[in-house]
Amino acid sequence: MPLRRLFAITSILFLAVLAVSPLKNALRPYRRFQREYAQLGASRAKSMQAAKAYLQKPVAIHQIWLPDFQNRVDRCQTCHLGAEDPAMAGAAEPFRLHPATYHTPKDFNRFGCTSCHGGQGLATLEKDAHGEVSDAGSPMVPLKYIESGCGRCHASEQLAGAATLSLGRAVMEKNGCYACHAVKGHEAFRSEAPPIETVGLKTGGPALRQWLKDPKAVDPNATMPRFQLSDQEIEELSNYVFSLTPAKDLASRIQAAMTAPAGDAAQGKALFAVSRCISCHTVEGKGNGTAPELSRVASRATAGWLAAFIRDPHAFNPRTRMPQFNFSDADVRNLVAYMESDFKDFDAPKEILDPIRVNQTLAEKGKVLFRQKGCFACHAPGAEVDRFGPALDGIGDKRPASLEFGKRTDLPRTLPAWLEAKVQKPGSFQDGLKMPTFSLSPKETQAVVTALLSLGAEPVPQPYRWTPAVRPSLLPGGAVGALMDKYRCLSCHQIGDKGGDISTAPLTAEGSKVKQDWLVNYLVLSFTIRPILTDRMPVFQMSKEDAAQIAQAFETFFLDPRIPEDPYAGQPASSNDPVEGKRLYDTLGCRACHILGAGGGYYGPPLTEAGTRLKPGWLFKWLKGPQAWRADVRCPNYGLTDAEALRLTSYLGTLVKSPAAAKAKQGGAR
Amino acid sequence: MKPHAPIAGIVLLLLAAGACSRHKAAAPPPPAAAAATPDAAPAADAAPAPVAEPPLPYELRLGRETYRHYCLTCHGDTGAGDGFNAFNIDPHPRDLSDPAFQKAKTDADLKDAVRRGGLGVGLSAMMPPYGHTLTPDQIDQVVGYIRTFKPAPQS
Repeated sequence: MPLRRLFAITSILFLAVLAVSPLKNALRPYRRFQREYAQLGASRAKSMQAAKAYLQKPVAIHQIWLPDFQNRVDRCQTCHLGAEDPAMAGAAEPFRLHPATYHTPKDFNRFGCTSCHGGQGLATLEKDAHGEVSDAGSPMVPLKYIESGCGRCHASEQLAGAATLSLGRAVMEKNGCYACHAVKGHEAFRSEAPPIETVGLKTGGPALRQWLKDPKAVDPNATMPRFQLSDQEIEELSNYVFSLTPAKDLASRIQAAMTAPAGDAAQGKALFAVSRCISCHTVEGKGNGTAPELSRVASRATAGWLAAFIRDPHAFNPRTRMPQFNFSDADVRNLVAYMESDFKDFDAPKEILDPIRVNQTLAEKGKVLFRQKGCFACHAPGAEVDRFGPALDGIGDKRPASLEFGKRTDLPRTLPAWLEAKVQKPGSFQDGLKMPTFSLSPKETQAVVTALLSLGAEPVPQPYRWTPAVRPSLLPGGAVGALMDKYRCLSCHQIGDKGGDISTAPLTAEGSKVKQDWLVNYLVLSFTIRPILTDRMPVFQMSKEDAAQIAQAFETFFLDPRIPEDPYAGQPASSNDPVEGKRLYDTLGCRACHILGAGGGYYGPPLTEAGTRLKPGWLFKWLKGPQAWRADVRCPNYGLTDAEALRLTSYLGTLVKSPAAAKAKQGGAR
Repeated sequence: MKPHAPIAGIVLLLLAAGACSRHKAAAPPPPAAAAATPDAAPAADAAPAPVAEPPLPYELRLGRETYRHYCLTCHGDTGAGDGFNAFNIDPHPRDLSDPAFQKAKTDADLKDAVRRGGLGVGLSAMMPPYGHTLTPDQIDQVVGYIRTFKPAPQS
């Protein structure tokens, strides 16, 4: 009897245990969500039929299968039912319509949800799916870093529509992260920092100590971070820097400059303005800011160094972006006299530029420190093959459990929180860490964390990767190449996939765009093309021969086959009609942005001498669709027909500099 | 949940009792309460000020991005028609933050003006047509953002 009872009880228990699984499934919250969604959809439906369709949808798991992404399965839409349903705009979560982005809704089935949002696609419970449980592999990406998802497929530095990601990548480049950390695609990165053996020629002991303490306090444009050095370490490094012997040639150049007679500060001031130094530098914060602030530079660099450096910057620092100007000896003396009179720190002690009398023991210790702290990564790159810090590829997929939080017990144990703290206060994790402090703003920190999270461990499959269609730069060698290097065209201009972003005018197809004669004149004496831009082309005092040689190279090499030389070929004669073109110019509203004659906006370049400057083929192609040439340009595409665009081109071609005006303006024009 | 209710009730009762006894122990309760209220009042006043502006929804932020890129140069940051490029333009750009204007124009009117330009809707040619430049989505978003403009407070 007891055996029977026992058997009965175990059977019932067994049945009960068996029932748990289907019961658990029946009680899953997504079933309730799907029923609620059907009700909500029916109440919002515009027709009886549509309402019925909502109500008749069976309760089921909805999933996207991604065979290309390691067979991932995203079941997010099991609860987020309205993500693709326009009727759910503004509905409460989890039913809200996904905001329109470049990829939604059309690409839902292409790469699912977790590609951008992270989280556990397979889970159907909110906590599991969003990764809020402690041992979840990948929690969801916080929305402030959501653009990191864009960066997984878009490897380009700049990405339209992802401002935060683009900023983050730019900040990483500017702050020299790639000097110490290896990141794919940035192997060629070289810091612009001066070779360490030339620093002793430039500055003095007290100034160097100030700099090492906190570079940004000395120069707000400094890209060198703060290394949290103790006074002892600063002393050792300073002694090391002054114990190095620079090339004899450089020292003698400085000697020669020191013995030269003083120049005229007033003339130097005029030359400083004419040369447009603040297109890169700043003076009291005014200017571009990619190069050092100059308002106290004469208390950081000796007069002799300033003179010798301005004369030939590339001899002192081959990696500098500064171009070589064709200043005469007198020009340089005047400039230095101006800087010595105006760009001084009047609170600085008198001995700020006195060199250090080297203590060999300290210098030896400094040499060790120079290696230990990784200074060589920027100041002597190439000496060591390997990057100094850990590689950053894959950092966006690190598990929180593998991160060292050290003293930061205040942080939530998540990757984004860790990265944010690491970028802002690297020293707070543990004593003696080598990563320096970069003093980034909160916005820059958010951007850098976004960029770091975009560095995934596994590359996305090839068909999903996107690289911008930019032609690789073909840079001429020989004499022209040397000239372009001398004037450092690439510091500001883009040519193909290389170059800086100070100028808005890429030179990749310059030969197809502007007329050669105009270009020669412009290179000799550059003047304002777009009045609203503050960063203008410097006046290099280029000789006519140099200018002609560069212009000839542009005319020969920097062409675009899509831009025709003669756009009128094969067109009806009436398309070459400037009168009709002028009528178009007036009715299209070009005047809203371009100055022509009296009045007009000044957002675009004035068109007063458009015919002197621009080739008709380029005018025509531009008018046919400006966005094809620069994706984010404000000049609207008017959808002109070929004939209309040609008439407008022919009108703009008649706008030439009159010879009389040219003569009157000679010399004074700028 | 049910069996917890009585326990929670008992705990609450005990807590309340404790709180009462404390209150009695503290010497003069009324001044303390009186002191607390004026402190609390300014805090309540100050608190809403910084959180007055909730972050914009995603579509409006996209619209704002488009607006800032293409429209701001003439129509200005707040839509008042005071962009830096407006200075030389005759007639001056429209004040988009004007409530009367906002009321008079339907979304369709605004989208039409963006798409076909000033001349396309019988106004000044100085407003260029953006129908070939922006996508229909972008135009929807930018009009959505224009709808958020309010006139600057008079002060």
